[in-house]
Amino acid sequence: MEFCEVDVSIQMFAELFVHTLGFWWIILPAMLLGLIVGAIPGFSAANTIIILLPLTFAMEVEQGIVFMVALYASSRMGAGIPAILVNIPGTAGAAATPLDGYPMARAGLGQQALAMSFVASTAGGLLTTIIALIAMPWLAQVAFFMHSVEMIVVMLFGISLIATIAAKNTLKGLIAGLLGLMIGAVGTDFVYETPRATFGFLELYDGIPLVPALVGLFAVSEAFLVIEGESILTRRGKELMANPSWQATFEGVRMCAKRWWHVIWCSLIGLVIGVIPGAGASIASFVAYQQSRSFSKTPELYGTGHPEGLIAPESANNGVTSGTLVPLMVIGLPGGATAAIMLVVLEFHGVNFGPQLFSEQPEIGFGIFMAMAVTYLLMIFTILPLSRYMTKVTIVSTAFMAPVIISFTLVGSFVPREFGFDMGLALGFGVLGYIARRTNYHVAAILIGIILGPLLEGFFLRAIRMANGDLGVLFSSNIGNALWVALVVTVALPYLLDYLRKRRRQQKTM
Amino acid sequence: MSLFDKPFDRRTMLSGSATVLGAAAASSLPFGNAFAAGFPDGAISVTVPTRAGGGADRNLRAFTGVWKKYLDATFKPDFKPGASGRVGYEFYMGKKKRDGHNLLFGNMGPEFLNWIVKMPTFPLEDLTYFARVDTDPGAIFVRADSPFKTIDDVVAAGKKRTLNVSTSRLAHPASVGLLALGEHTGAKFNLIPLSGGKNTIAGVVTGEMDLGTLTSGSVAAKGKALRTLLVFNDENVAADRLNNAPTMNQHFGTSLPPLLSSRAFAIHTSVIKDHPDRFKILNDTLKKVFDDPEYKAAVIKAKGIWEYINYGDMNDTAKYLKGIKEVGLRFKPLLTGKPS
Amino acid sequence: MLDETEADRPRKRALGAELVIPVGALVFTLYYFYTILESPWTAQASAFFIGTILIVLVLIFIGLTFRWVAKGEGDWSFHTLFEPHDYVKIRLGLLALTVGYIAVISFLGFTITTFLFLVLAMLLLNRGRRAKLSLTLAAILSVGGYLLFIVAFDTNFPEGPFEFLMNGIL
Repeated sequence: MEFCEVDVSIQMFAELFVHTLGFWWIILPAMLLGLIVGAIPGFSAANTIIILLPLTFAMEVEQGIVFMVALYASSRMGAGIPAILVNIPGTAGAAATPLDGYPMARAGLGQQALAMSFVASTAGGLLTTIIALIAMPWLAQVAFFMHSVEMIVVMLFGISLIATIAAKNTLKGLIAGLLGLMIGAVGTDFVYETPRATFGFLELYDGIPLVPALVGLFAVSEAFLVIEGESILTRRGKELMANPSWQATFEGVRMCAKRWWHVIWCSLIGLVIGVIPGAGASIASFVAYQQSRSFSKTPELYGTGHPEGLIAPESANNGVTSGTLVPLMVIGLPGGATAAIMLVVLEFHGVNFGPQLFSEQPEIGFGIFMAMAVTYLLMIFTILPLSRYMTKVTIVSTAFMAPVIISFTLVGSFVPREFGFDMGLALGFGVLGYIARRTNYHVAAILIGIILGPLLEGFFLRAIRMANGDLGVLFSSNIGNALWVALVVTVALPYLLDYLRKRRRQQKTM
Repeated sequence: MSLFDKPFDRRTMLSGSATVLGAAAASSLPFGNAFAAGFPDGAISVTVPTRAGGGADRNLRAFTGVWKKYLDATFKPDFKPGASGRVGYEFYMGKKKRDGHNLLFGNMGPEFLNWIVKMPTFPLEDLTYFARVDTDPGAIFVRADSPFKTIDDVVAAGKKRTLNVSTSRLAHPASVGLLALGEHTGAKFNLIPLSGGKNTIAGVVTGEMDLGTLTSGSVAAKGKALRTLLVFNDENVAADRLNNAPTMNQHFGTSLPPLLSSRAFAIHTSVIKDHPDRFKILNDTLKKVFDDPEYKAAVIKAKGIWEYINYGDMNDTAKYLKGIKEVGLRFKPLLTGKPS
Repeated sequence: MLDETEADRPRKRALGAELVIPVGALVFTLYYFYTILESPWTAQASAFFIGTILIVLVLIFIGLTFRWVAKGEGDWSFHTLFEPHDYVKIRLGLLALTVGYIAVISFLGFTITTFLFLVLAMLLLNRGRRAKLSLTLAAILSVGGYLLFIVAFDTNFPEGPFEFLMNGIL
């Protein structure tokens, strides 16, 4: 294959692999740092790279790239750990992870859940990185076809999860979801920037900050609830955790391996969404979760600690990681926040983006993806054995755990914007989450609204303004229309499958 | 029109200048520096009203990287983005100590246009832009393989159908330039604000928008991927980096004032009055940066345009803001979505 | 203690509690509408669309609530929010400590406030027992937090006596 006058061969990749492996002394510390900042709510690869900009500026360009990529990929995996074990998704990309990860941890299957998450992340990340390496020029084209109209439908895939969640109690589910959408619409409008429902707080002009909403609804509310028990574990969970063994880790690996098709499919969703500028890990995780549930034979198990409900978001958000680098390297457009910061560093070093990059500096053009692949490989071997020890967190007494969770998450809420206000906001969302849980309103439905609502509104207003107010624009593109059909099919599918199953059962009994 | 009667009127500007001149005179006395002993005492915090990783971040890092040599202090950028800069300005004015250790680094043009849309909660004369760093004219650009080869192609197409134009935000000098072009030629444009320079460029590169309007420095930094068609300045001083694009006034015979984005350092006006010695240290050391070859090298390395680096003092910034106010008021209904 | 028959009786839904979120949503939506009455259509479009549906759903829920109460399926109580009763005081105490944490951090700084919060909350939840362990854990975590967030990551947390002292030493 030839790409931009560079002979792309297996031998070249092999050489590049060995060359990148030589940077192990950068990858390992970056990986460790990435896992830590990923696990701390409020910190992310993007803001850590910003903090460390002077360091990356001082490094050689290749070293800087390897460092940033290793930190980025590992932070994504790190974010899954507290999301699973203590219900704290530290970033919006991990928002769908606790839906099934945390119930597994409570049931004493934390080790299996972690192992599954690590394997799904690694496999998803590795696979999409390899695909990105091979198919980069074509993948970059996705950015040219996915415009506002198409993105509206992609958002609706994620938002349709609200309806799915609402299936058990339609009215309450929809009220929760729509309340989330209204809360998500707080802040100035996208065109004229008039403030909306900000209660006079300047801190809300830029919309509801995601970290306080995430940790408030999930973790703070949970901390106020779990104090009734000795630990977060259920009775059965305690029995299982009484005799920990390596077996559980292997079981997690097996559970994930058995669902290999699921990993491939969901990581590809992540890859494609990652390539689109303006879309990111949060959308990818929710869309993957929604898709996974729609095609599942056991959709009713989602949300109760179902392995597929954990594999879907974890493989998708790691797929996004490689996806965001594609438009960055091929057309110089960052696919997400972290890629945008990487762009700053690469521009500082005078890197010229575009197809010529791959012929002029292949060690950078292809090297960035190879660095990611090497990171994933090194990471799985170092982190997998640790799942057994990490899981011990679930047996800690809630009398110690709850205060730590509360202070930890309040601190995390402060970090991204450094507003004391955001700590109060996290507590406010904590109270909302507590009331919602106690009265059977699904917090996930509220959160999906808060995360995806403003994105949907942004794309919607852009599309409508471009079409001078003509709503017909929503059905004006072929790709968009194909996506609409896919949306209708996947939303209707579970109901259809359910109906067919019931009918078959009835026929059998007759 | 009454909106701007008080702030930045002639008297305020003059009194501000007098204060500064007085401060400068006072601090030139032999004992002047004694008051500033120990300044700066700790890091200088610079509030930036846009996101980390954006154009302001890049400019600021290049500048403070050299400034710290002369001021003997570290600089801590404090990014407070939101509502086109409103959040950062309000935060700076409301929360930051007025002791000379806290500065603001803003983009005067778009951020001042904000105040035309809606006044901030603080009186404008409480903030003084004391040092301009650059003047970066707005430009109209398309992607490299666009069918529009010249601005005439754009105008001709805009007379047949409404063209969608990406912009960073409506209240931006580059947006105002585009509106002026439409007004002059009769071409129809539809401005789509995409929140930030990166998104504005992405809108054009991905083909969703017909063209874009942005500060020309950001367009030039993208190299061959984009083609500049028109510049809103008296002269295209970076013609080699901007496809030799004509200026609006040259090409269409208009007399539009230069529509510049202009990054500048600002400080609480009270610091200039209450700590003239500290202010003098800041101002004197800052000026040295412009003559330092290291700064020039940093700007060029970051793909900046050295011709745009252009020191200006308080009088220059006040003059600039007066011009921005005039064009802003002219296009106010289009910026607010409400008839005047 | 409840007698057996009372314990076995199916409990009525605490519909007062279940109404907190819908009524809150209704009030918030009306406030939202109020703030955009004068705004351009771009600020109004999606909010009016979503808000109207939300209001309709909330009104349906309120209507159904009256029916459930009339049929005896539920009452206007809030008991689900406060159960189990022996945890009410502890939960409110924890909430008060959390509010205090947020309020005091700007005066006492990150490290001292975090330490105090952790000690007090751990003592509260342990009902005064395991004081030594609480103190040790709180000290390790707050100083660890200081080293990680303020020293290593240079985060602008509010500073207080401890941070000022350390700034002097470092």
